[in-house]
Amino acid sequence: MIEVKNITKTFGGFRAVDDISFSVEAGENMIFLGKSGCGKTTLLKMINRLIEPDTGEIRIDGTVVNDQDPAVLRRKIGYVLQNTGLFPHYTVAENIAVVPRLLGWDKDKIRERTRTLLEKLHLPPDKYFSSYPHQLSGGQQQRIGLARALAAYPPVLLMDEPFGALDPITRASVKKDFKELDELRTKTIILVTHDVQEAFELGDRICLLDKGKIVQMGKPAELLYHPANAYVTDFFEDQRFQLEVKMMDATDYPALMRAFTHLKNRTNA
Amino acid sequence: MNPTQTLWQFMHQESGKLLQQTAEHIGLTFISLLIAILIGLPLGIWITGRKKAAGFVLGFAGVLQTIPSIALLGFMIPLLGIGPVPAITALFLYALLPIIRNTYTGINGVDPVVREAAVAMGMTRSQVLFKVELILAFPVIMAGIRTATVINVGVGTLAAYIAAGGLGEFIFGGIALNNTNMILAGAIPAALLAILLDFILSLVQRMSRKKRRTALRIMPLIILGFSSFYMLPMGYSSRLLAGFTPEFMGRSDGDIGLRSVYGLKIKTVVISDAVMYKAAFDKKLDVISGYSTDGRLNAYGLVVLEDDKKIFPPYYAAPVIRTAVMDKYPGLAPVLNKLAGRINDSIMTALNYRVEYLNQTPEQCARDFLTAQGLYKEPGKEPGRSGEQGTIRLGSKIFPEQYILINMYAMLIRGYTGLQVETKTGLGGTKICFQALVNNKIDMYPEYTGTALLAILHPSPEDLRRLGGKKDPVYNFVQSEFVRRYGLRWLEPIGFNNAYALMMRRSQAQQLGIHTITDLSTYLKKDSL
Repeated sequence: MIEVKNITKTFGGFRAVDDISFSVEAGENMIFLGKSGCGKTTLLKMINRLIEPDTGEIRIDGTVVNDQDPAVLRRKIGYVLQNTGLFPHYTVAENIAVVPRLLGWDKDKIRERTRTLLEKLHLPPDKYFSSYPHQLSGGQQQRIGLARALAAYPPVLLMDEPFGALDPITRASVKKDFKELDELRTKTIILVTHDVQEAFELGDRICLLDKGKIVQMGKPAELLYHPANAYVTDFFEDQRFQLEVKMMDATDYPALMRAFTHLKNRTNA
Repeated sequence: MNPTQTLWQFMHQESGKLLQQTAEHIGLTFISLLIAILIGLPLGIWITGRKKAAGFVLGFAGVLQTIPSIALLGFMIPLLGIGPVPAITALFLYALLPIIRNTYTGINGVDPVVREAAVAMGMTRSQVLFKVELILAFPVIMAGIRTATVINVGVGTLAAYIAAGGLGEFIFGGIALNNTNMILAGAIPAALLAILLDFILSLVQRMSRKKRRTALRIMPLIILGFSSFYMLPMGYSSRLLAGFTPEFMGRSDGDIGLRSVYGLKIKTVVISDAVMYKAAFDKKLDVISGYSTDGRLNAYGLVVLEDDKKIFPPYYAAPVIRTAVMDKYPGLAPVLNKLAGRINDSIMTALNYRVEYLNQTPEQCARDFLTAQGLYKEPGKEPGRSGEQGTIRLGSKIFPEQYILINMYAMLIRGYTGLQVETKTGLGGTKICFQALVNNKIDMYPEYTGTALLAILHPSPEDLRRLGGKKDPVYNFVQSEFVRRYGLRWLEPIGFNNAYALMMRRSQAQQLGIHTITDLSTYLKKDSL
């Protein structure tokens, strides 16, 4: 469980994160949603101390992160970057093995773990084990980035726009693998995105941010049907129909009709 | 020395020296490179992410780089004396900038996303540096090391000026002796060495990322290995240390003659005459190859050892002039000959002393002497008595005695004729001066009979024996041969004999009872038994 209390971060007079507090339950998928510059990535990077907050406190399972050796802390937190950040001088296997090696696992255990992850992500180990990142496609690279983050069984996973740099078709296929991955079900995940559809697809809860503050936080349906203010309504307006369809059970006929009516009104207006 | 000898024959004959010099050269290059890496690499790493420090460090190293190499060696002498230490220090300073700059650029050029990933995976600062940044910056850093290596091989030739050895011994010896084979025997291996090392390092630079980790581990050993070349035993060991000029080392009336005629076996370093006397005075050297009229002889308390077996031929100075100029200006020769016979050894030594030790200008020294002799005339008092007009170009080698003589000749020409004078001082050694004269770049310069005989004419052994090192036969031979071969004329000798001489500190020579070169040779033989 992650608890964030009153954290603030200023960059040369600009308040990127402004007195934010929230908590994420164990096993929950939390989405930080917002436009560029809303502070969502800064907020994410403060959890594994890539950025230090000016004030406030972050705890993971009751322990204050700023009291720990940052290197030791980060080995327990998986991290997936938008542009993969794979090490170009390491093979696929070596990239995946980075954290287990830092933790001093023995060789056989690392090897086995690497093969398992490659299989789960539909990359035949024999073919890709000794390849270098530049020999792989963008989608394959992103899968390796995910495998690297998962290798040492971290209980927490931080993802910074993990599908942001992929083309729509690749994105769909990577996302599919991601959703099917059994290991992810038990993890506490925080994912940063500016893509509303993605937020609704992947999030147990969504935290909508603007100008360094939380505008509304809750289940996707709450944000959609009980918006806290006009900003929230406007934020989803363009994609309301797709979102409502996504939310509903196909047999819920009245809800479906409501959605169509709404769409019609909007189109006419 | 046989003038028809080919380069290959020369290199074969001198293969021992060549190997030793090459080993010294490699050693000098790599020791300084090693120190530069040990200091430059950490410094380059330290300044990444420290903008102010980076500007300062790179600026400072850049300034060091702009100091001309010969000047940098000059600065080193008062601080560190002569020998390998100042040479390695100078080379180290030159190697520093490319290594610091490329380390800095290389590490700053690492993709920030990759660096962030490394930190986020839980690598410590040093793990990020050694596992990611240095490996990815490797090609750029290697390029810096390559540049530094090539610079060091080039600048390393100058080490021969301050008794640190290397291939410069042949190059500067060859220039001084007008011996093209000797120059090439130093220059070609130096160039090949630069090309070869550059090529090998380019292979290392282009190594695959996987092999880089291995390369990083092996490299220090290889550099250490090459550095140790400098520690190889060199020549004889003896209780006395000799410092000879590059020119002296290669002459039959120099080191070669000392070995063959006197059987002299002494540990020898090669050194520029500019610092040799001081080094002898400072007890860094015990025996040096000086000139018998050098002003520093008195200044530094040195004594000339008697050449009892007569291996040093006479070196009487006289102006050498192009015949065409003499014919064009018939009034010129009598004016130049006004100096003939006026300056004997002790006068020349005194004049040199004033310039070299009392820091008077050669011009003032020349004027005072001419005035005292009643020869000085203000220019323009007797303009163009013979109606001659034109410009005479005077050349000189780069040492004070020549500067003084050239100034005297310039004053005489201006005072007694209507001719203009243009002086080209600093024409390096014999070869450069002589070539300038032959190729009509200058009209005259003062030359020495012995130098002309041995370094320019290369007479047959029979001729040499016939001349027997006597003043007049040598002068006559040189004069007739110069007219015959080059169309150049020797005017009358000025009077002094600036011969080569072995010198020691007066106190040490007295203490050891050494008065002649034979005494020295006997002392050294006794010493080694």
